[in-house]
Amino acid sequence: MATVRLKNIHKEFNGVKILKGIDLDVNDGEFCVFVGPSGCGKSTLLRIISGLEDATSGTIEIGEKDVTKSDPIDRGIAMVFQSYALYPHLTVRDNIGFGLSLAKRPKSEIKERVNAAAEMLQLESLLDRKPKDLSGGQRQRVAIGRAIVREPEVFLFDEPLSNLDAALRSKMRIELTELHATLNATMIYVTHDQIEAMTMADKIVVLNAGHIEQVGTPMELYHHPQTPFVAGFIGSPKMNLFEGAIAKEHNADLYGIRPEHLTLSPKEGKWKGVVKHIEQLGADAIVHIHVESLGMLVARADGDFSITAGSTIYATPQEGKEHLF
Amino acid sequence: MKRQQIINGVIALVIGVLIFVTPFIFIGLTAVKSAAEASQLGLSWPSEWLFWDNLVAVIQARNYMLLLAYFNSTVITVGAISLLVISAAMIGYVIQRRPSKWNGFIYALILAGLMIPPAVVPTIWLLKELHLFKTLHGMILIQVAYGLSFSVLLFRSFIASIPRDLDEAAIIDGAKPWQVFFKVILPLLKPVTVTVILVQSVTIFNDFTNPLYYLPGKDNVTVQLTLYNFQSQFSSQMNLLFMNILLVTIPPLIMFIFFNKQIVKGMTAGAVKG
Ligand SMILES: Nc1ncnc2c1ncn2[C@@H]1O[C@H](COP(=O)(O)OP(=O)(O)OP(=O)(O)O)[C@@H](O)[C@H]1O
Ligand SMILES: [Mg+2]
Repeated sequence: MATVRLKNIHKEFNGVKILKGIDLDVNDGEFCVFVGPSGCGKSTLLRIISGLEDATSGTIEIGEKDVTKSDPIDRGIAMVFQSYALYPHLTVRDNIGFGLSLAKRPKSEIKERVNAAAEMLQLESLLDRKPKDLSGGQRQRVAIGRAIVREPEVFLFDEPLSNLDAALRSKMRIELTELHATLNATMIYVTHDQIEAMTMADKIVVLNAGHIEQVGTPMELYHHPQTPFVAGFIGSPKMNLFEGAIAKEHNADLYGIRPEHLTLSPKEGKWKGVVKHIEQLGADAIVHIHVESLGMLVARADGDFSITAGSTIYATPQEGKEHLF
Repeated sequence: MKRQQIINGVIALVIGVLIFVTPFIFIGLTAVKSAAEASQLGLSWPSEWLFWDNLVAVIQARNYMLLLAYFNSTVITVGAISLLVISAAMIGYVIQRRPSKWNGFIYALILAGLMIPPAVVPTIWLLKELHLFKTLHGMILIQVAYGLSFSVLLFRSFIASIPRDLDEAAIIDGAKPWQVFFKVILPLLKPVTVTVILVQSVTIFNDFTNPLYYLPGKDNVTVQLTLYNFQSQFSSQMNLLFMNILLVTIPPLIMFIFFNKQIVKGMTAGAVKG
């Protein structure tokens, strides 16, 4: 198992700066998630760690060894692609064993290791099928099997669940977390889905436009976002952010309050507003309120909180839950 | 309306049969006639069927020249196709996957290969300099050169539909560049490869002019050249000439009839699903 250390990674494509100085330590056995909006450079950073892409400058160490100039195979990494990238002409067995057979391992060893990986992922009955005869979730498993069979020190995942439906995705989230616990390997996981980040990560790295905004545990990022970007990005629905009078009142440029930290009441409260729209989710309801002095305010209420669009409502921020920037 | 459509269809079919099938019937009928009957060059029914006699006569003509021609043509076709498929697939792969500043120049060369008609005299001069003139391997190289542009374009566009992730997954799995090509990409190229093999082998097998220019000499005769060589001898024996035509036409025809679907599939096939 291994640590991953990035020092001052820069990347340019045709003179356009994509990564602007990334410094990051991923500890041994950690589940580290890169999140950020589309195009912020998550995949590029992951590909630089994998060795598929060269950094313009900076160094990469994996397990205390400088691998900046190494080929992917010499880095002790395995990667799972968003598209799965299974070899269409090979059976599941040969897909999983491909790396081992390239490494000229003995046939009996390949068989044993492929079977072990298949068992861990419940793929035994599918070993002789071709990828085109598998469902999306099964393909995903094969792709993961291809990674674990090589017993890498670091696993790299690039949005591995984004092609699955919601139910399967949440199932695979749990399976991946369990896999991480079983293998105890270092994993780096790219996603733009903050739920995946919150639920799976030991450490979240929030990327924005080629630089790191903040690094921390999910709860650190939730409770103590250091920048407005992180405040807006982590948490769902998004944190309410206001400039102007309310921020001045607290001697700040920006005032933020999470939807779940607003108390709603039909009678009294700090801010009076009109309900514009209600998203009923069952367990809770997301209420969009227009407040004269603030603009649109989003609040989370209990599912059985009875309000109708157009009615007047009062919202009060909970003491000490505001974020100031 | 419906009735009109049927009538139109029948008319089209009749015209099609007249244009495409009549020549074959003519060849077939003439090939089995006696010399006297054949010299009338009509579509009449043969009064006696001399298929076997004519066949033996053609094969034995000029010291079994037709058999030698079949041998030469086969060597040229198989040799050229092997070289063509391997090199076109590799070239297509490299120019599709590794864009470089040379790509524009390479495309210009490929297009030039498609558009500019080959100049015979300088080519012969070059072949002579390389001691390849009048040799089968020289002829093979010529056929490869002529077929390369088209094949490269076919391979290139097919490879473009293979996701790059596959190459990268193989690299992560530890494949060297040549292993990525031979173990991952090449097996996926089967549909285009079949198309290139069929289209080019028919072209090369049927080629008349190039062997005529670049492969003179009695021992170097190819199948299509037998027609030319026999023409003077058989001018009084049209039945034999047409028997020869029949023998020469059949192999490519069979290829087309059987693999017609494959050819179209390979031309239009796209991304590998799954
Ligand atoms: N090979 C390349 N050539 C030129 N530009 C590239 C290349 N690869 C990526 N980029 C650019 O780099 C930026 C970051 O791309 P990257 O794929 O890392 O984004 P991402 O954070 O993974 O986004 P997403 O969530 O949409 O996958 C994008 O603006 C993209 O256009
Ligand atoms: Mg990406």
